[in-house]
Amino acid sequence: MIAAASILPVSTGWLVAGTVMLAGVIPLLWVCVRRSIFEALVALELAGTVTTLVLLVIAQGTHRQPFFDLAVVSAVLSFGGGLAFARFLERWV
Amino acid sequence: MSVVDVVVAVLVGVAVLVSVLSCLGVLLASDAYDGLHYTAPASVVSPVLIAAAVVIQEGIGSQAGIKSIVVALLLIVLNTVLVHATARAARIRKRGRWALEPAEKATIENR
Repeated sequence: MIAAASILPVSTGWLVAGTVMLAGVIPLLWVCVRRSIFEALVALELAGTVTTLVLLVIAQGTHRQPFFDLAVVSAVLSFGGGLAFARFLERWV
Repeated sequence: MSVVDVVVAVLVGVAVLVSVLSCLGVLLASDAYDGLHYTAPASVVSPVLIAAAVVIQEGIGSQAGIKSIVVALLLIVLNTVLVHATARAARIRKRGRWALEPAEKATIENR
């Protein structure tokens, strides 16, 4: 059983910040759909970064320690994904 | 509202502003190379500001503080590599090779 005193309230300010940051992904989605393949890749890479930051902000806003691990994993995997796309777009796709 | 709350709010607010402006920069960029420049503020400034805000709120020895710093360092280092790899891939796709061509008329000084 979790003691009531250990549960911190959700901070709305952090979650509002995360929502606004996530809204920044909308123009990136438009770039992915309408522009050239490399501009889409740049947008994808930035979207990965923004998503990682949003996970960080949500983790802090909800005071859930395990959520910080998601941000760490997202930072590494978005790098790997972007690098794989860049290598394939270089010559083969 | 304490001083710490105000500092945290300012740091997070600036981080969000930088991130959103970076996204708009990529939208308005004329080509992929210009767009790559606009990814830098969101990959360097925003993570540092958010990590600073978390550290100020939770303390540098807390799990949240340490993991925020780790995420900020990861984003700074890995995005630098990723931007170079993307620019290199774009150039090789367009020109067939990475090396400088004579027609580009760039001079390399021998020192």
